[in-house]
Amino acid sequence: MATPGAGGNLQAKLVLLGDMGAGKSSLVLRFVKGQFFDYQESTIGAAFLTQTVAVNDVTVKFEIWDTAGQERYHSLAPMYYRGAAAAIVVYDITNTESFTRAKNWVRELQRQGNPNLVIALAGNKADLASKRKVETEEGQSYADENGLFFIETSAKSAQNVNEVFYEIARKLPKAAPAPQPQGLNLNAQGRTQPKRSCCSTS
Amino acid sequence: MCSAELFLNATCVASSEELKIYKKRSFEAQRQSTQHAAMASAESSGEQASSGPTGTYEVVYIKDNVSVHPSPLANERISGRLKLIKQGQSVFLTWIPYNQSGIADDSGLILSPSEGAPVTPPQAPGRKDKDRNLYTIRAVSLSEIRSIRRHTPTLGWNYIIVVLTTGLAFPPLYFHNGGVKEFLGVLKEHALLVRSAEDANVYLVNDIQDPLQRSLTSLDLPEAVTPVRELEPLEEERVSAQEGPDEGGSALQPLVVSRRGPEGGVLDRLPQKHVDPLRDASIHILTQFSKVTRFVRDATTQLSGQNDRPLARSGMLGLPERAPVPPPVAPAVQRQPSAGLGEALPGRGAGDAGAGSRMEEDKDEPELSSLGAFELVDGLEEESPALVWGRPRPPPLGAEEWATFLDSEGRVSDPAGLRKRVFHGGVEPDMRREVWKFLLGYFPYESTRAERKALQANKAKEYEVLKGQWQSVSEDQAKKFAKFRERKSRVDKDVVRTDRTLPFYAGDDNPNVEALRSILITYSFYNFDLGYCQGMSDLLSPILYVMDDEVDAFWCFAALMERMASNFHRDQNGMHSQLLSLRKLVKLLDPPLDDYFRQVDCLNYFFCFRWILIHFKREFEYDNVLRLWEVLWSRYLSDHFHLYVCVAVLKRHRRKIMDEQMEFDTLLKFINDLSGRIELEGTLRDAEALCRYAGDAGVACMPPAPPPTDETQIEGPEG
Repeated sequence: MATPGAGGNLQAKLVLLGDMGAGKSSLVLRFVKGQFFDYQESTIGAAFLTQTVAVNDVTVKFEIWDTAGQERYHSLAPMYYRGAAAAIVVYDITNTESFTRAKNWVRELQRQGNPNLVIALAGNKADLASKRKVETEEGQSYADENGLFFIETSAKSAQNVNEVFYEIARKLPKAAPAPQPQGLNLNAQGRTQPKRSCCSTS
Repeated sequence: MCSAELFLNATCVASSEELKIYKKRSFEAQRQSTQHAAMASAESSGEQASSGPTGTYEVVYIKDNVSVHPSPLANERISGRLKLIKQGQSVFLTWIPYNQSGIADDSGLILSPSEGAPVTPPQAPGRKDKDRNLYTIRAVSLSEIRSIRRHTPTLGWNYIIVVLTTGLAFPPLYFHNGGVKEFLGVLKEHALLVRSAEDANVYLVNDIQDPLQRSLTSLDLPEAVTPVRELEPLEEERVSAQEGPDEGGSALQPLVVSRRGPEGGVLDRLPQKHVDPLRDASIHILTQFSKVTRFVRDATTQLSGQNDRPLARSGMLGLPERAPVPPPVAPAVQRQPSAGLGEALPGRGAGDAGAGSRMEEDKDEPELSSLGAFELVDGLEEESPALVWGRPRPPPLGAEEWATFLDSEGRVSDPAGLRKRVFHGGVEPDMRREVWKFLLGYFPYESTRAERKALQANKAKEYEVLKGQWQSVSEDQAKKFAKFRERKSRVDKDVVRTDRTLPFYAGDDNPNVEALRSILITYSFYNFDLGYCQGMSDLLSPILYVMDDEVDAFWCFAALMERMASNFHRDQNGMHSQLLSLRKLVKLLDPPLDDYFRQVDCLNYFFCFRWILIHFKREFEYDNVLRLWEVLWSRYLSDHFHLYVCVAVLKRHRRKIMDEQMEFDTLLKFINDLSGRIELEGTLRDAEALCRYAGDAGVACMPPAPPPTDETQIEGPEG
């Protein structure tokens, strides 16, 4: 979950889940580095990146875990989503299988029992409208039914990429536990809480 | 302290007592002996160095009271005189210990091996003189020096470590009166001295990469540096050392020194504690330092006795260059004890790993296990190519040499020899197409040329059949064949993003990408239970690139997967068992790092997942991946050599990992970001040293043979 820092700063562990080739790494790379590669190599194991956004008076430092998509590596996923404050479940709008997989991920996240987990459902590759297999309405209605934040994105064109993260950032403070009382800031920038280990179950 | 120019002026007489400037004088000299051709060639030994061209030389630098610390006692040092001598265009470095009477017994000595040691029997014969001879640096041409590492600890004396191009290093030379900077200043006048980009304390000397020269040098150096594990003395050497009290008294055999002399051994010290004025915190540190030094000395003693007579004759002290690097001088800092190569295997005296069984005899020695707080190979975490274990690796196997491995009918007559050769040097790019087929097991070593031709023909047919199985699936059939569709789509997703920046796979409609795709889909039919799994395209890409033939690449890939299939098992058993092995290895070879990972809850080693799953494919430049893989496939030292490579890389960065208190997230990022920044040759040498050092204890860490792929490992819900 999100860890409140001093001065209205938050740290939030965010995990990307979704079928292979849906565009998880591309979304992160676009968001963190503003880059896009047509042939973004597959993620082996996992990758970790950070990016900080400012929403209103709060800055949120995202600690982003980008995971391998193939079902074969499913057993590793809990290690990465455990303790997460937010998840972006990504599918490829040109691939119905990936939408099915996305729904499976959503179910799994909901089962693992963090009621405060902010889940975004991202229909990626929105630039490939001509090859679309999953209609926007499908994604939207599934998201509505399951209380997810839904958006269609394109890492290639950068469409809605920052928006996903900003929207999550906006939703996070509400999800965070007792807000940090003002006036106790010991360090304007630093962490005031000990850093959690990767495997903490809070 | 004299300023640098004093050193340079041959006519200046220094005011400092440490400085004496010698006038030019002429002498008769043996070029071979001075240039250490002897070291590289068994033929040009010291004895032969008796006549030669006449030349003049000029002492351009001289420094007294530069010492070696051979023992744990801080005050026990062998002091001597460090000089730089110019002869013609060459500059030589020498360090000659004083004799018993405290006289720098070095007039004209450096250039005549027979004078290399005091010929007069000293007052107290035995170890002292043996040591002096042992450490003498007779004359090393600057062209033979790769780098000089400067150590200027805040506590304790400054010292330098001279590392040779051969990968050997001299023990630390302590500048008890300071002056390291001046020394380097003078050196700069006579050689191209460049600070290493990786470590500002490392000065690369004449770093004009001359690969040919280097490889030649390395070829002539028979196992010059053997990791500590191999340093146990041979039986006959122990015996001879015990028999002969005058062993090592001669300059010609300065290195044949046993730790056990006739009267309780060479370890009997004559403590001179009252002499040494130093009584501060640094003493303890230096004591520890010199334990390290002594360990190195012991190791070297055995090493030289075992392997390298030419080294001994030339009076050269060959040391594993990592070994003498002393511990960090920060005793007050709460730091995890750090470990290096020489440090404790369980139950073994740290720092004495090469002579573990003789520990109990060292009754007068303090507990060496106290050395556990220090590391012998502090530099391992640094990415300095100059600071790695072992000798430079020989050049890769070429066509001519390859031919010598084949008998008249084309059988590989000595598979073990071939594997050893590939392990040490790799294979030339043009030869990989052929050699890899053997390494991977596609071609049996014992097959003749004719048999292989027949095999290839059969395999080509078989491949066509396998490929036809999925190619013949009609569109209608595919609609009712979800597993096939998914499999194909997975492969399609990955092949278009596998090494596309490489010219071989670049561009639209590249036939090689198509071949990659065909092979992977075919393989997923050939091994239907395993199917296609992410990472396989990474493993296939270099094979296809080298084979440049779809059929050969398929069968080589299939052979590789015989070894690596368990990496892709659904329950990850193969990965888990390797990660567990890695954990055991780190615990064995670097306990403090293991301890650190325990503290930060990272013992699952998942940050190394990518390294292991695809054998560092993403970590090195493509060419280096090819080199690494053939070394791994040689399976010469271990079937799991990649795990030692993991440890070697971790060790190179251990300090940073611990200093920056990396946890799982930052650690994973750090490890991933090492991609493209790992120096291969040095890493391989480190890994080899670690593997040899770990020995049976390392073998005990290795994963069990992977279970065969069965239906429990099939794809499950995904297809």
